[in-house]
Amino acid sequence: MIGTSPLAREFWEFGKSATCPIYDMHGHMGVWHSIYFPRADAADMMRTMDECGVRMLVFSHHLALFAPDLGNSLAIQAVRQYPDRLRAYCAVNPNYAEQLASDLAAFEAHTDAYVGFKFLSDYHGIALSDERYRPAWEYANERELLILAHTWGDSSLDGPAVVRQMAERYPRVKLLLGHSCHGEWDAAVQLARDFPNTYLELTALFDDRGILEKFVREAGSDRMLFGTDLPWFDPHQAVGALLSADISDEDRHNICHGNAERLLAPFLGTSYLGHEFK
Amino acid sequence: MHFFDCNVFFGSPTKRLLSPVPTVEMLLAEMDRAGVERALVWHIAQHDASPQVGNQLLAEAIRSHPRLMGCWTVLPNQTREFPPPQVLFQQMKAARIAALRIFPNSHRFLANEVSLGEILEKMVARRIPLFVSLRRGMDWRDIYALLDEFPDLMCVICDHGCWGMDRLFRPLLERYPHAYIDTAQYLLDGGLEALVADYGASRVLFGSGFPESYFGGMMLALRHARIPDEAKAAIAGGNLERILQEGEL
Repeated sequence: MIGTSPLAREFWEFGKSATCPIYDMHGHMGVWHSIYFPRADAADMMRTMDECGVRMLVFSHHLALFAPDLGNSLAIQAVRQYPDRLRAYCAVNPNYAEQLASDLAAFEAHTDAYVGFKFLSDYHGIALSDERYRPAWEYANERELLILAHTWGDSSLDGPAVVRQMAERYPRVKLLLGHSCHGEWDAAVQLARDFPNTYLELTALFDDRGILEKFVREAGSDRMLFGTDLPWFDPHQAVGALLSADISDEDRHNICHGNAERLLAPFLGTSYLGHEFK
Repeated sequence: MHFFDCNVFFGSPTKRLLSPVPTVEMLLAEMDRAGVERALVWHIAQHDASPQVGNQLLAEAIRSHPRLMGCWTVLPNQTREFPPPQVLFQQMKAARIAALRIFPNSHRFLANEVSLGEILEKMVARRIPLFVSLRRGMDWRDIYALLDEFPDLMCVICDHGCWGMDRLFRPLLERYPHAYIDTAQYLLDGGLEALVADYGASRVLFGSGFPESYFGGMMLALRHARIPDEAKAAIAGGNLERILQEGEL
């Protein structure tokens, strides 16, 4: 068995936990050219989520991010097919200003599906601070929406320095640092400390031993969010790492669901969550 | 399941890890905590400092710990830095070293017949496994070229990366019957299941990549993978056990 805590025993035995549901705050869906995905469609992802105890996945569709001709319609369809299990980030490709304008105009019609926006600056080649992102930032700031931004260490497009500017400029945005400025761990911690509207999202960190402990120690587990890039990474691998880390079960509850429930409360409502959040 | 980890190192890297595991005693304590029974281990000094120095540190460290077997590092021997293969193999047997690793890019040589022919031919004949790492000192083109020259080499490809490398390692599994992959960084959702369905369970070895990765990540993934229990047992440790038993030092 991978640990001795009650959660470790439960996940080892059953693959999921009755008391620790997982809210995966960084998912995708669908095919993408660079990776073979055995389970990329919504039905297959649901089966993975069931087996791993993932109650809710918040995702952006690969094709919304990489095929401007298709946009976000596939994501909205998937959420409406699985309304209790999925929410979507409206994927923003700032190379297509007309598409962003159209997405913003239609956002209100899709508030049953959307919780905010997904930015992928390194891949789209445009900095988070670029003017072309501004309409989405302002829209999210006015409405206190979530923005999941891919962030990576040493990137001039979405590294810590740019993230800092944005967190400062848009304090009402709930800014999820996708991959937590991967590699620049100290800078990521400092962002979490300096800006209460930022969260350290953990996709691609579960394979780096020691980061979880560092973040819990230096930023606090109330600022960390579970994520896997599903259908990229097996949630069981992420959970196994979380259970292996030298942190408490209370920290694990925060990371797996407590923090996400707070962030999603305005979108899901108390009937879904079963309790209220301030 | 009995976990026999094929991909573990200990020792202090030149660049400090966030959670280093400098001693074999610390490693064993972590293995106990995770429930890993045995491991094939190497010392980071074999890569970061010197193969010869690292090999010696490894041999000394594991001597009194039968749960651990060792994996030494070699170099091309035109520079006469190592004894001849038959002597090296005797030294390996005496020190409970069951396999070899190479880091060609880091140690500035080419992994081919010209450089390594003498030892690789004997490793093929004796079925001694060679471990290579995509994380350290080897890239895919090197591995493809190496296996093209030594198609019967027992070669374990480790640390192939978390960004979905199936298109790179599956051709090798199809072409070369003694090519294996480990599970370190094989995070792909459904990857293990698809791989076992297409190639069986005998070509995959449990490797954690500890201490850079947690033991428990791939342990939990394997425990709950949608594959038969026999396949899980083979991947967890049976395959490595079989491979090491086949080797004749």
